[in-house]
Amino acid sequence: MARYPTDARLRRAPEGRRGRLTFGRAAFATLALAAVPAQAIASDTVRISGLSDLAFGSITSFGTDSVLSESICLYAKSPPGDNYRVTASGSGSGGAFVLSSGSAVLPFEVQWSATPGQTSGLQLLANQALTGQHSASGSAAVDDCSKGPATSASLIVILRSAALGSASSGTYTGTLTLLVAPE
Amino acid sequence: MRGFLRSGLLLGCSGLMVPGAAQAATQGTAGATSTGSVTVSATVPGRVQISGLTDVAFGTVDPTSPASSAENVCVWSNTSGKGYSVTASGNGTGNAFTLSDGTNSLPYSVEWAGSSGQTSGTALSSGAALAGLSSTATNPTCSAGPAATASLIVKMTAANLQAAVASAYTGTLTLVVAPQ
Repeated sequence: MARYPTDARLRRAPEGRRGRLTFGRAAFATLALAAVPAQAIASDTVRISGLSDLAFGSITSFGTDSVLSESICLYAKSPPGDNYRVTASGSGSGGAFVLSSGSAVLPFEVQWSATPGQTSGLQLLANQALTGQHSASGSAAVDDCSKGPATSASLIVILRSAALGSASSGTYTGTLTLLVAPE
Repeated sequence: MRGFLRSGLLLGCSGLMVPGAAQAATQGTAGATSTGSVTVSATVPGRVQISGLTDVAFGTVDPTSPASSAENVCVWSNTSGKGYSVTASGNGTGNAFTLSDGTNSLPYSVEWAGSSGQTSGTALSSGAALAGLSSTATNPTCSAGPAATASLIVKMTAANLQAAVASAYTGTLTLVVAPQ
């Protein structure tokens, strides 16, 4: 009984033997692959880099939202679409997006854009993946964006005026963690 | 002396290693998943705001009776205790609380209450801060939460009204609030 590889990309398909009515195992392997649902495979690679800390400094206006954004490198090599999903979590309880100053907290919002240079995007909810994002890094890119576009996504953090108005004075800090995975 | 200086240096270094101090951004590595992080920081300075003020118009007053006018105002403070002080000044001589018709003056008094809806409060002296007040405002203009947090009361005594020359008097009352 022949045993066939389950992933032709990872294992070389055996050749068929010459002769009448012989079939190569590759044919069987191809059919088997067609039945596998589309999903990320082991060779898919993602990388997030080019991140910088986001420092709002001293807030000068309590009547308007304070927004900071940065363009980052999001490399995704996950054929055919080079798509990825991103999941964010904060350092608040349960991964909440909050900054802390002692016991005082200051909530913030996080948005994501699959295009660099943006100041608004799709809102991220803590611990919930934003799916269907496409990497604009391009086929020539390398995972640190040293070739191709230097940046390929935007991370946006917003301090809403309502939150600023109700926050006690102080210096607030927090950590925002971003996890990307291929799709 | 040397030992003293060394201790000072050690203390200085330990100050750089305060637990919870901001960390630099971390970059993800290439793989099946990739994780990076950034530190987000913001400083919210101590601020106060007074709003909701309206002009005080007594209209025609009866000099045989004292006159009083109270209004609700919004004072917001974002200090940890939402504390503030208030200082009032008039536009009379030496910032006195007086109205004027250009020639004659009419004294008035000012009171402040740390809650809304009051018709009497603590008397203010011109230029002297009334401290130890706290606000219930959750918004700089009270557009959310309580609509007002304090009361401003202006009064004129019957004696001063009776001593005043019949005329139309105006003046300006300036209020300065500061965080505490």
